[in-house]
Amino acid sequence: MVYTQKTPWTLVMGIIMVAYAYMVQNGMMEPVIKFLNTGRHAGEMQTLGFAFGAVAILVGLWQVLAAPKEGQTDYYLSTVAGLMFIMLIAFIVKWGLDPLMAKWGREAQPALGFNFASVMNLNYVVMGILAGIIIVNVFKVPGWAENGVRLSRLGLKTGVILLGTLYSFAELAQLGKLSIVLIGVFVLGSVGLVLWIGARRKLPNSMTGVMSAGIGVCGVSASVAAAPVVQAKSTEIAYTIGTVLLFGVVCMFAFPIIGKALGMGYVQFGAWAGTGILNSAQVAGAALAFQPGGIETLKVAEIFNITRVLFLPIIVLWLALWYVKREVGAQQVDVTRVIVSKFPVFVLGFILMFLLSSTGIFAPARHYQGAYFDNSDKALVKKDRSGKEVNNYLKEADVETLKKDAEKVKRDDQKAALQRLIENKKVMSEDDDATLRGIINAKLMSKEGTAVLNKAHRAIRHTAAKIAMFRDLIAWFFTFGLVGLGMQITVASIKQAGGQPLVIGSIVGVIKAVGSLIVVMLMVSETV
Amino acid sequence: MMHEDKFDRGSALTIFKSDRHEDLAALGLSLLIALLVYLLV
Repeated sequence: MVYTQKTPWTLVMGIIMVAYAYMVQNGMMEPVIKFLNTGRHAGEMQTLGFAFGAVAILVGLWQVLAAPKEGQTDYYLSTVAGLMFIMLIAFIVKWGLDPLMAKWGREAQPALGFNFASVMNLNYVVMGILAGIIIVNVFKVPGWAENGVRLSRLGLKTGVILLGTLYSFAELAQLGKLSIVLIGVFVLGSVGLVLWIGARRKLPNSMTGVMSAGIGVCGVSASVAAAPVVQAKSTEIAYTIGTVLLFGVVCMFAFPIIGKALGMGYVQFGAWAGTGILNSAQVAGAALAFQPGGIETLKVAEIFNITRVLFLPIIVLWLALWYVKREVGAQQVDVTRVIVSKFPVFVLGFILMFLLSSTGIFAPARHYQGAYFDNSDKALVKKDRSGKEVNNYLKEADVETLKKDAEKVKRDDQKAALQRLIENKKVMSEDDDATLRGIINAKLMSKEGTAVLNKAHRAIRHTAAKIAMFRDLIAWFFTFGLVGLGMQITVASIKQAGGQPLVIGSIVGVIKAVGSLIVVMLMVSETV
Repeated sequence: MMHEDKFDRGSALTIFKSDRHEDLAALGLSLLIALLVYLLV
Protein backbone atom coordinates (compact mmCIF):
# COMPACT_ATOMS: atom_id res chain seq x y z
CA MET A 1 0.00 0.00 0.00
CA VAL A 2 1.21 3.52 -0.84
CA TYR A 3 0.54 5.99 2.00
CA THR A 4 1.61 9.27 0.39
CA GLN A 5 -1.42 11.16 -0.86
CA LYS A 6 -1.19 13.53 -3.80
CA THR A 7 -2.21 16.64 -1.89
CA PRO A 8 -1.14 20.23 -2.49
CA TRP A 9 -1.72 21.08 1.18
CA THR A 10 1.80 20.23 2.41
CA LEU A 11 3.22 22.61 -0.18
CA VAL A 12 0.65 25.29 0.66
CA MET A 13 1.40 25.02 4.40
CA GLY A 14 5.14 25.27 3.67
CA ILE A 15 4.66 28.41 1.60
CA ILE A 16 2.50 29.99 4.33
CA MET A 17 5.15 29.23 7.00
CA VAL A 18 8.06 30.59 4.95
CA ALA A 19 6.07 33.68 3.87
CA TYR A 20 5.13 34.42 7.49
CA ALA A 21 8.75 34.03 8.68
CA TYR A 22 9.91 36.30 5.83
CA MET A 23 7.34 38.97 6.73
CA VAL A 24 8.39 38.87 10.40
CA GLN A 25 12.05 39.16 9.36
CA ASN A 26 11.35 42.21 7.18
CA GLY A 27 9.21 44.00 9.75
CA MET A 28 5.99 43.67 7.73
CA MET A 29 4.28 41.95 10.67
CA GLU A 30 5.40 44.62 13.15
CA PRO A 31 1.89 46.17 13.59
CA VAL A 32 0.40 42.73 14.37
CA ILE A 33 3.30 41.81 16.67
CA LYS A 34 2.90 45.13 18.49
CA PHE A 35 -0.90 44.74 18.71
CA LEU A 36 -0.58 41.24 20.19
CA ASN A 37 2.56 42.07 22.19
CA THR A 38 4.40 39.02 20.82
CA GLY A 39 7.79 40.64 20.25
CA ARG A 40 9.50 38.06 22.47
CA HIS A 41 8.46 35.32 20.03
CA ALA A 42 9.82 37.11 16.92
CA GLY A 43 13.01 35.03 16.91
CA GLU A 44 11.27 31.66 17.02
CA MET A 45 8.66 32.83 14.49
CA GLN A 46 11.49 33.22 11.99
CA THR A 47 13.53 30.14 12.92
CA LEU A 48 10.61 27.74 13.10
CA GLY A 49 8.78 29.31 10.16
CA PHE A 50 11.78 28.96 7.84
CA ALA A 51 12.81 25.51 9.11
CA PHE A 52 9.40 23.81 9.04
CA GLY A 53 8.35 25.74 5.93
CA ALA A 54 11.42 24.58 3.98
CA VAL A 55 10.84 20.92 4.92
CA ALA A 56 7.13 21.21 4.04
CA ILE A 57 7.91 22.76 0.65
CA LEU A 58 10.43 20.03 -0.22
CA VAL A 59 8.18 17.16 0.87
CA GLY A 60 5.13 18.89 -0.64
CA LEU A 61 6.85 19.11 -4.03
CA TRP A 62 7.83 15.44 -3.75
CA GLN A 63 4.24 14.51 -2.93
CA VAL A 64 2.86 16.42 -5.90
CA LEU A 65 5.52 15.60 -8.50
CA ALA A 66 6.89 12.15 -7.64
CA ALA A 67 5.22 8.78 -7.87
CA PRO A 68 6.04 7.14 -4.51
CA LYS A 69 6.45 3.39 -4.38
CA GLU A 70 5.40 1.22 -1.47
CA GLY A 71 8.06 1.08 1.20
CA GLN A 72 9.51 2.73 4.29
CA THR A 73 10.36 6.05 2.56
CA ASP A 74 6.76 6.44 1.41
CA TYR A 75 5.39 5.44 4.83
CA TYR A 76 7.56 7.71 6.96
CA LEU A 77 7.42 10.69 4.59
CA SER A 78 3.63 10.39 4.57
CA THR A 79 3.71 11.61 8.20
CA VAL A 80 5.23 14.98 7.25
CA ALA A 81 1.91 16.45 6.01
CA GLY A 82 0.19 15.73 9.34
CA LEU A 83 3.22 16.96 11.29
CA MET A 84 3.02 20.29 9.43
CA PHE A 85 -0.73 20.41 9.97
CA ILE A 86 -0.26 20.13 13.75
CA MET A 87 2.61 22.64 13.75
CA LEU A 88 0.56 25.16 11.77
CA ILE A 89 -2.26 24.88 14.31
CA ALA A 90 0.29 25.21 17.14
CA PHE A 91 1.76 28.38 15.52
CA ILE A 92 -1.69 29.95 15.09
CA VAL A 93 -2.68 29.14 18.67
CA LYS A 94 0.63 30.12 20.32
CA TRP A 95 1.43 33.29 18.37
CA GLY A 96 -2.14 34.39 17.56
CA LEU A 97 -5.00 33.10 19.70
CA ASP A 98 -3.12 32.93 23.01
CA PRO A 99 -1.96 36.59 23.01
CA LEU A 100 -5.30 37.71 21.53
CA MET A 101 -7.27 36.07 24.35
CA ALA A 102 -4.85 37.49 26.92
CA LYS A 103 -5.37 40.97 25.45
CA TRP A 104 -9.17 40.64 25.33
CA GLY A 105 -9.18 39.24 28.86
CA ARG A 106 -7.28 42.26 30.17
CA GLU A 107 -9.40 44.75 28.21
CA ALA A 108 -12.72 43.21 29.29
CA GLN A 109 -11.68 43.03 32.95
CA PRO A 110 -13.04 46.47 33.98
CA ALA A 111 -16.45 45.65 32.45
CA LEU A 112 -16.69 42.02 33.60
CA GLY A 113 -14.96 42.41 36.94
CA PHE A 114 -12.65 39.48 36.19
CA ASN A 115 -10.13 38.42 33.52
CA PHE A 116 -12.05 35.75 31.60
CA ALA A 117 -8.95 34.48 29.78
CA SER A 118 -7.19 33.90 33.07
CA VAL A 119 -10.21 32.47 34.94
CA MET A 120 -11.10 30.10 32.09
CA ASN A 121 -7.42 29.31 31.59
CA LEU A 122 -7.51 30.14 27.88
CA ASN A 123 -3.81 29.74 27.13
CA TYR A 124 -2.10 28.09 24.16
CA VAL A 125 -1.99 24.63 25.75
CA VAL A 126 -5.71 24.47 26.52
CA MET A 127 -6.68 26.07 23.20
CA GLY A 128 -4.30 23.78 21.27
CA ILE A 129 -5.86 20.66 22.78
CA LEU A 130 -9.37 22.07 22.26
CA ALA A 131 -8.51 22.88 18.63
CA GLY A 132 -7.45 19.25 18.16
CA ILE A 133 -10.64 17.92 19.78
CA ILE A 134 -12.84 20.20 17.66
CA ILE A 135 -11.03 19.30 14.43
CA VAL A 136 -11.31 15.54 14.93
CA ASN A 137 -14.90 15.52 16.20
CA VAL A 138 -16.47 18.26 14.08
CA PHE A 139 -14.49 18.44 10.84
CA LYS A 140 -12.50 15.15 10.88
CA VAL A 141 -8.74 15.07 10.44
CA PRO A 142 -7.98 15.23 6.69
CA GLY A 143 -6.86 11.87 5.27
CA TRP A 144 -3.44 13.24 4.25
CA ALA A 145 -2.77 14.34 7.86
CA GLU A 146 -3.80 11.14 9.67
CA ASN A 147 -0.36 9.50 9.68
CA GLY A 148 1.25 12.64 11.12
CA VAL A 149 -1.24 12.79 13.98
CA ARG A 150 0.03 9.37 15.05
CA LEU A 151 3.40 11.04 15.76
CA SER A 152 2.03 13.03 18.71
CA ARG A 153 2.98 10.43 21.34
CA LEU A 154 6.52 10.39 19.93
CA GLY A 155 6.60 14.15 20.50
CA LEU A 156 5.48 13.80 24.12
CA LYS A 157 7.97 11.03 24.84
CA THR A 158 10.83 13.01 23.27
CA GLY A 159 9.78 15.99 25.41
CA VAL A 160 9.93 13.87 28.58
CA ILE A 161 13.39 12.46 27.70
CA LEU A 162 14.77 15.94 26.93
CA LEU A 163 13.30 17.21 30.19
CA GLY A 164 16.02 15.15 31.90
CA THR A 165 18.55 17.84 30.89
CA LEU A 166 16.90 20.43 33.13
CA TYR A 167 17.25 18.81 36.55
CA SER A 168 20.08 19.11 39.01
CA PHE A 169 20.96 16.41 41.56
CA ALA A 170 19.63 18.57 44.42
CA GLU A 171 16.24 19.06 42.76
CA LEU A 172 15.88 15.44 41.76
CA ALA A 173 16.81 14.22 45.23
CA GLN A 174 14.25 16.47 46.93
CA LEU A 175 11.46 15.91 44.41
CA GLY A 176 12.26 12.20 44.19
CA LYS A 177 11.82 11.62 47.92
CA LEU A 178 8.54 13.52 47.96
CA SER A 179 7.21 11.77 44.87
CA ILE A 180 8.06 8.24 46.08
CA VAL A 181 6.05 8.78 49.27
CA LEU A 182 3.06 10.44 47.59
CA ILE A 183 2.96 8.20 44.53
CA GLY A 184 3.56 5.08 46.62
CA VAL A 185 0.55 5.81 48.80
CA PHE A 186 -1.81 6.85 46.01
CA VAL A 187 -0.79 4.29 43.35
CA LEU A 188 -0.90 1.31 45.68
CA GLY A 189 -4.00 2.71 47.39
CA SER A 190 -5.98 3.20 44.19
CA VAL A 191 -4.95 -0.20 42.75
CA GLY A 192 -6.10 -1.83 45.99
CA LEU A 193 -9.34 0.17 46.00
CA VAL A 194 -10.25 -0.81 42.42
CA LEU A 195 -9.55 -4.48 43.19
CA TRP A 196 -11.74 -4.27 46.32
CA ILE A 197 -14.67 -2.45 44.64
CA GLY A 198 -14.42 -4.72 41.58
CA ALA A 199 -14.71 -7.82 43.79
CA ARG A 200 -17.69 -6.37 45.69
CA ARG A 201 -19.49 -5.50 42.45
CA LYS A 202 -18.66 -8.94 41.06
CA LEU A 203 -16.85 -7.67 37.97
CA PRO A 204 -14.75 -10.26 36.07
CA ASN A 205 -11.25 -10.50 37.55
CA SER A 206 -9.65 -9.71 34.21
CA MET A 207 -11.70 -6.49 33.94
CA THR A 208 -10.93 -5.45 37.52
CA GLY A 209 -7.24 -6.26 37.11
CA VAL A 210 -6.67 -4.25 33.96
CA MET A 211 -8.74 -1.39 35.35
CA SER A 212 -6.71 -1.20 38.55
CA ALA A 213 -3.50 -0.76 36.54
CA GLY A 214 -5.08 1.92 34.34
CA ILE A 215 -6.54 3.92 37.23
CA GLY A 216 -3.62 3.34 39.59
CA VAL A 217 -0.46 3.71 37.52
CA CYS A 218 -0.28 5.64 34.29
CA GLY A 219 -3.39 5.18 32.22
CA VAL A 220 -3.29 3.70 28.77
CA SER A 221 0.26 2.24 28.78
CA ALA A 222 -0.30 0.57 32.16
CA SER A 223 -3.56 -1.00 30.98
CA VAL A 224 -1.81 -2.47 27.97
CA ALA A 225 1.14 -3.68 30.11
CA ALA A 226 -1.09 -5.33 32.73
CA ALA A 227 -3.47 -6.93 30.22
CA PRO A 228 -1.44 -10.13 29.59
CA VAL A 229 -1.01 -11.03 33.28
CA VAL A 230 -4.75 -10.83 33.98
CA GLN A 231 -5.65 -12.24 30.56
CA ALA A 232 -7.84 -9.22 29.76
CA LYS A 233 -9.96 -9.22 26.62
CA SER A 234 -9.56 -6.40 24.10
CA THR A 235 -13.02 -5.03 25.02
CA GLU A 236 -11.94 -4.78 28.67
CA ILE A 237 -8.80 -2.89 27.68
CA ALA A 238 -10.98 -0.60 25.55
CA TYR A 239 -13.36 0.03 28.51
CA THR A 240 -10.40 0.94 30.71
CA ILE A 241 -8.82 3.20 28.11
CA GLY A 242 -12.18 4.93 27.55
CA THR A 243 -12.59 5.55 31.30
CA VAL A 244 -9.00 6.76 31.74
CA LEU A 245 -9.35 9.04 28.74
CA LEU A 246 -12.68 10.55 29.81
CA PHE A 247 -11.53 11.12 33.38
CA GLY A 248 -8.16 12.44 32.16
CA VAL A 249 -9.71 14.97 29.79
CA VAL A 250 -11.98 16.34 32.53
CA CYS A 251 -8.98 16.55 34.92
CA MET A 252 -6.76 18.18 32.31
CA PHE A 253 -9.13 21.14 32.01
CA ALA A 254 -10.38 21.23 35.62
CA PHE A 255 -7.10 20.84 37.56
CA PRO A 256 -5.45 24.12 36.40
CA ILE A 257 -8.61 26.12 37.13
CA ILE A 258 -8.89 24.61 40.63
CA GLY A 259 -5.13 25.03 41.19
CA LYS A 260 -5.30 28.73 40.36
CA ALA A 261 -8.44 29.24 42.45
CA LEU A 262 -6.65 27.71 45.45
CA GLY A 263 -3.53 29.80 44.83
CA MET A 264 -1.27 26.75 44.47
CA GLY A 265 2.41 27.22 43.66
CA TYR A 266 4.35 25.43 40.92
CA VAL A 267 5.63 22.64 43.15
CA GLN A 268 2.25 22.05 44.77
CA PHE A 269 0.39 21.97 41.48
CA GLY A 270 3.01 19.80 39.78
CA ALA A 271 2.85 17.31 42.66
CA TRP A 272 -0.94 17.25 42.57
CA ALA A 273 -1.24 16.87 38.79
CA GLY A 274 1.48 14.21 38.71
CA THR A 275 -0.31 12.22 41.41
CA GLY A 276 -3.99 12.84 40.73
CA ILE A 277 -4.30 12.75 36.91
CA LEU A 278 -4.46 9.27 35.41
CA ASN A 279 -2.77 9.54 32.02
CA SER A 280 0.81 10.70 31.35
CA ALA A 281 -0.01 12.98 28.41
CA GLN A 282 -2.76 14.70 30.36
CA VAL A 283 -0.41 15.33 33.29
CA ALA A 284 1.82 17.27 30.90
CA GLY A 285 -1.22 19.07 29.46
CA ALA A 286 -2.48 20.19 32.88
CA ALA A 287 1.00 21.28 34.05
CA LEU A 288 1.62 23.39 30.95
CA ALA A 289 -1.92 24.79 31.08
CA PHE A 290 -1.28 25.87 34.69
CA GLN A 291 2.01 27.57 33.78
CA PRO A 292 2.09 28.20 30.02
CA GLY A 293 4.90 30.75 30.24
CA GLY A 294 7.40 28.49 32.02
CA ILE A 295 8.44 24.94 32.58
CA GLU A 296 8.83 24.66 36.38
CA THR A 297 5.42 23.07 36.99
CA LEU A 298 5.99 20.60 34.15
CA LYS A 299 9.33 19.59 35.67
CA VAL A 300 7.75 18.79 39.03
CA ALA A 301 4.73 17.03 37.47
CA GLU A 302 6.92 14.85 35.27
CA ILE A 303 9.04 13.66 38.18
CA PHE A 304 5.84 12.44 39.82
CA ASN A 305 4.67 10.94 36.54
CA ILE A 306 7.97 9.11 36.01
CA THR A 307 7.96 7.84 39.60
CA ARG A 308 4.47 6.47 38.89
CA VAL A 309 5.69 4.71 35.75
CA LEU A 310 8.51 3.18 37.80
CA PHE A 311 5.85 1.56 40.00
CA LEU A 312 4.57 -0.35 36.97
CA PRO A 313 6.68 -3.52 37.54
CA ILE A 314 5.46 -3.74 41.16
CA ILE A 315 1.83 -3.44 40.06
CA VAL A 316 2.25 -6.02 37.26
CA LEU A 317 3.76 -8.45 39.78
CA TRP A 318 0.98 -7.77 42.30
CA LEU A 319 -1.74 -8.29 39.68
CA ALA A 320 -0.15 -11.52 38.45
CA LEU A 321 -0.14 -12.98 41.97
CA TRP A 322 -3.66 -11.64 42.67
CA TYR A 323 -5.07 -13.08 39.44
CA VAL A 324 -3.52 -16.55 39.80
CA LYS A 325 -4.85 -16.74 43.39
CA ARG A 326 -8.41 -15.81 42.38
CA GLU A 327 -8.78 -17.63 39.07
CA VAL A 328 -8.74 -21.38 39.49
CA GLY A 329 -6.87 -22.93 36.59
CA ALA A 330 -5.54 -19.60 35.36
CA GLN A 331 -2.60 -20.01 33.03
CA GLN A 332 0.72 -19.02 34.58
CA VAL A 333 2.23 -16.01 32.81
CA ASP A 334 5.95 -15.27 32.72
CA VAL A 335 5.80 -12.03 34.74
CA THR A 336 9.48 -11.18 34.24
CA ARG A 337 9.02 -11.41 30.49
CA VAL A 338 5.95 -9.15 30.60
CA ILE A 339 7.77 -6.57 32.74
CA VAL A 340 10.87 -6.57 30.53
CA SER A 341 8.90 -6.39 27.29
CA LYS A 342 6.45 -3.69 28.46
CA PHE A 343 8.70 -1.50 30.58
CA PRO A 344 8.69 2.02 29.08
CA VAL A 345 12.23 2.61 27.83
CA PHE A 346 11.67 6.36 27.47
CA VAL A 347 11.85 6.62 31.28
CA LEU A 348 15.38 5.20 31.11
CA GLY A 349 16.04 7.79 28.37
CA PHE A 350 15.03 10.53 30.81
CA ILE A 351 17.48 9.19 33.39
CA LEU A 352 20.23 8.89 30.75
CA MET A 353 19.67 12.51 29.69
CA PHE A 354 19.78 13.63 33.33
CA LEU A 355 23.09 11.80 33.83
CA LEU A 356 24.49 13.33 30.63
CA SER A 357 23.45 16.79 31.82
CA SER A 358 24.95 16.14 35.26
CA THR A 359 28.40 15.82 33.69
CA GLY A 360 28.18 19.55 32.97
CA ILE A 361 28.23 19.34 29.18
CA PHE A 362 25.16 21.56 28.73
CA ALA A 363 25.74 24.02 31.56
CA PRO A 364 28.51 24.66 34.10
CA ALA A 365 28.53 21.66 36.44
CA ARG A 366 27.40 23.66 39.47
CA HIS A 367 24.28 25.01 37.80
CA TYR A 368 21.00 25.01 39.64
CA GLN A 369 17.88 24.94 37.49
CA GLY A 370 20.02 25.86 34.49
CA ALA A 371 21.43 29.01 36.13
CA TYR A 372 25.09 29.34 37.09
CA PHE A 373 27.26 31.82 39.00
CA ASP A 374 29.58 34.19 37.15
CA ASN A 375 30.60 37.61 38.54
CA SER A 376 33.37 38.38 36.08
CA ASP A 377 33.46 41.77 34.30
CA LYS A 378 32.56 40.04 31.06
CA ALA A 379 29.37 38.64 32.57
CA LEU A 380 28.39 41.87 34.34
CA VAL A 381 28.99 44.35 31.53
CA LYS A 382 27.16 43.37 28.38
CA LYS A 383 25.78 44.91 25.23
CA ASP A 384 22.07 44.93 24.46
CA ARG A 385 20.54 44.27 21.02
CA SER A 386 21.15 47.84 19.84
CA GLY A 387 24.82 47.56 20.82
CA LYS A 388 24.43 49.83 23.90
CA GLU A 389 26.53 48.88 26.91
CA VAL A 390 24.58 47.61 29.94
CA ASN A 391 26.46 47.73 33.24
CA ASN A 392 25.02 45.41 35.91
CA TYR A 393 27.27 46.53 38.78
CA LEU A 394 25.30 48.22 41.59
CA LYS A 395 24.90 51.97 41.20
CA GLU A 396 25.81 54.53 43.89
CA ALA A 397 22.11 54.97 44.75
CA ASP A 398 21.79 51.19 45.24
CA VAL A 399 24.80 51.16 47.54
CA GLU A 400 23.34 54.01 49.60
CA THR A 401 20.06 52.07 49.97
CA LEU A 402 21.97 49.04 51.24
CA LYS A 403 24.03 51.17 53.68
CA LYS A 404 20.80 52.57 55.15
CA ASP A 405 19.40 49.07 55.70
CA ALA A 406 22.70 47.51 56.83
CA GLU A 407 22.04 48.01 60.55
CA LYS A 408 18.92 45.80 60.33
CA VAL A 409 21.17 42.81 59.57
CA LYS A 410 22.48 41.26 62.80
CA ARG A 411 24.07 37.92 61.90
CA ASP A 412 27.85 38.10 61.40
CA ASP A 413 27.98 36.05 58.17
CA GLN A 414 25.15 38.13 56.65
CA LYS A 415 26.79 41.37 57.74
CA ALA A 416 30.09 40.30 56.17
CA ALA A 417 28.46 39.27 52.87
CA LEU A 418 26.54 42.54 52.71
CA GLN A 419 29.72 44.51 53.43
CA ARG A 420 31.54 42.75 50.58
CA LEU A 421 28.61 43.54 48.27
CA ILE A 422 28.69 47.22 49.23
CA GLU A 423 32.46 47.48 48.75
CA ASN A 424 32.63 45.66 45.41
CA LYS A 425 29.19 46.58 43.99
CA LYS A 426 28.71 42.95 43.01
CA VAL A 427 28.14 39.61 44.77
CA MET A 428 31.60 38.16 45.43
CA SER A 429 30.98 34.40 45.69
CA GLU A 430 28.38 31.68 45.44
CA ASP A 431 28.36 31.42 49.25
CA ASP A 432 27.76 35.16 49.55
CA ASP A 433 24.91 34.79 47.08
CA ALA A 434 23.29 32.12 49.26
CA THR A 435 23.81 34.22 52.40
CA LEU A 436 22.30 37.32 50.77
CA ARG A 437 19.32 35.24 49.58
CA GLY A 438 18.84 34.42 53.27
CA ILE A 439 18.50 38.15 54.01
CA ILE A 440 15.88 38.43 51.25
CA ASN A 441 13.90 35.41 52.44
CA ALA A 442 13.94 36.59 56.05
CA LYS A 443 12.58 39.98 54.85
CA LEU A 444 15.09 41.83 57.01
CA MET A 445 15.42 44.87 54.76
CA SER A 446 13.08 47.54 53.41
CA LYS A 447 11.31 46.95 50.09
CA GLU A 448 13.93 49.08 48.32
CA GLY A 449 16.82 47.24 49.99
CA THR A 450 15.37 43.86 49.03
CA ALA A 451 14.96 45.05 45.44
CA VAL A 452 18.66 45.98 45.32
CA LEU A 453 19.66 42.56 46.69
CA ASN A 454 17.50 40.88 44.05
CA LYS A 455 19.12 43.01 41.36
CA ALA A 456 22.60 41.99 42.59
CA HIS A 457 21.52 38.34 42.56
CA ARG A 458 20.18 38.53 39.00
CA ALA A 459 23.39 40.18 37.81
CA ILE A 460 25.59 37.20 38.73
CA ARG A 461 23.17 34.36 37.88
CA HIS A 462 23.11 33.46 34.22
CA THR A 463 20.98 31.00 32.33
CA ALA A 464 23.08 28.62 30.27
CA ALA A 465 22.36 29.09 26.55
CA LYS A 466 22.13 25.34 25.96
CA ILE A 467 19.66 24.89 28.83
CA ALA A 468 17.56 27.79 27.51
CA MET A 469 17.51 26.08 24.11
CA PHE A 470 16.42 22.78 25.69
CA ARG A 471 13.58 24.62 27.51
CA ASP A 472 12.28 26.08 24.24
CA LEU A 473 12.57 22.76 22.41
CA ILE A 474 10.83 20.86 25.20
CA ALA A 475 7.93 23.35 25.24
CA TRP A 476 7.50 22.88 21.47
CA PHE A 477 7.64 19.08 21.66
CA PHE A 478 4.91 19.14 24.30
CA THR A 479 2.84 21.64 22.33
CA PHE A 480 3.07 19.44 19.24
CA GLY A 481 2.23 16.31 21.25
CA LEU A 482 -0.73 17.90 23.01
CA VAL A 483 -2.36 19.35 19.87
CA GLY A 484 -1.98 15.89 18.30
CA LEU A 485 -3.33 14.30 21.48
CA GLY A 486 -6.44 16.48 21.15
CA MET A 487 -6.89 15.05 17.66
CA GLN A 488 -6.95 11.54 19.14
CA ILE A 489 -9.68 12.31 21.70
CA THR A 490 -12.74 11.21 19.79
CA VAL A 491 -16.27 10.95 21.13
CA ALA A 492 -16.25 7.30 19.98
CA SER A 493 -13.20 6.43 22.13
CA ILE A 494 -14.71 8.13 25.20
CA LYS A 495 -18.04 6.34 24.65
CA GLN A 496 -16.17 3.06 25.17
CA ALA A 497 -16.09 3.78 28.91
CA GLY A 498 -19.77 3.25 29.83
CA GLY A 499 -21.30 1.13 32.60
CA GLN A 500 -19.55 -0.40 35.58
CA PRO A 501 -15.95 0.46 34.56
CA LEU A 502 -16.89 4.14 34.35
CA VAL A 503 -18.57 4.08 37.77
CA ILE A 504 -15.61 2.36 39.47
CA GLY A 505 -13.05 4.46 37.58
CA SER A 506 -14.83 7.67 38.51
CA ILE A 507 -15.18 6.77 42.20
CA VAL A 508 -11.50 5.84 42.56
CA GLY A 509 -10.34 8.67 40.26
CA VAL A 510 -12.21 11.28 42.32
CA ILE A 511 -10.93 9.83 45.62
CA LYS A 512 -7.37 9.92 44.24
CA ALA A 513 -7.70 13.49 42.92
CA VAL A 514 -9.31 14.89 46.07
CA GLY A 515 -7.12 12.86 48.44
CA SER A 516 -3.89 13.92 46.71
CA LEU A 517 -5.09 17.55 46.69
CA ILE A 518 -5.60 17.51 50.45
CA VAL A 519 -2.25 15.83 51.11
CA VAL A 520 -0.38 18.19 48.76
CA MET A 521 -1.98 21.30 50.28
CA LEU A 522 -1.10 20.12 53.78
CA MET A 523 2.35 18.66 53.22
CA VAL A 524 4.01 20.16 50.15
CA SER A 525 5.71 23.53 50.37
CA GLU A 526 7.23 25.63 47.61
CA THR A 527 10.82 25.10 48.65
CA VAL A 528 12.41 22.84 46.10
CA MET B 1 -1.77 -10.38 3.53
CA MET B 2 1.52 -9.88 1.73
CA HIS B 3 1.56 -6.26 2.84
CA GLU B 4 0.88 -7.18 6.47
CA ASP B 5 3.90 -9.50 6.49
CA LYS B 6 6.24 -7.17 4.72
CA PHE B 7 5.63 -3.99 6.76
CA ASP B 8 4.20 -3.30 10.19
CA ARG B 9 2.18 -0.12 10.19
CA GLY B 10 1.56 0.46 13.91
CA SER B 11 -1.77 1.24 15.50
CA ALA B 12 -4.30 4.07 15.62
CA LEU B 13 -2.13 5.78 18.26
CA THR B 14 1.31 5.44 16.73
CA ILE B 15 3.07 4.86 13.43
CA PHE B 16 5.48 2.46 15.13
CA LYS B 17 5.28 -1.32 15.37
CA SER B 18 5.16 -1.27 19.19
CA ASP B 19 5.55 0.99 22.22
CA ARG B 20 9.14 -0.22 22.53
CA HIS B 21 9.92 0.93 18.98
CA GLU B 22 8.33 4.30 19.70
CA ASP B 23 10.35 4.66 22.91
CA LEU B 24 13.57 3.84 21.06
CA ALA B 25 12.71 6.33 18.30
CA ALA B 26 12.09 9.02 20.96
CA LEU B 27 15.41 8.14 22.60
CA GLY B 28 17.28 8.32 19.29
CA LEU B 29 15.66 11.65 18.41
CA SER B 30 16.48 13.06 21.86
CA LEU B 31 20.13 12.02 21.63
CA LEU B 32 20.38 13.57 18.17
CA ILE B 33 18.86 16.83 19.43
CA ALA B 34 21.17 16.81 22.47
CA LEU B 35 24.18 16.36 20.17
CA LEU B 36 23.05 19.22 17.92
CA VAL B 37 22.46 21.53 20.90
CA TYR B 38 25.87 20.57 22.31
CA LEU B 39 27.65 21.28 19.02
CA LEU B 40 25.74 24.30 17.73
CA VAL B 41 24.50 26.37 20.69
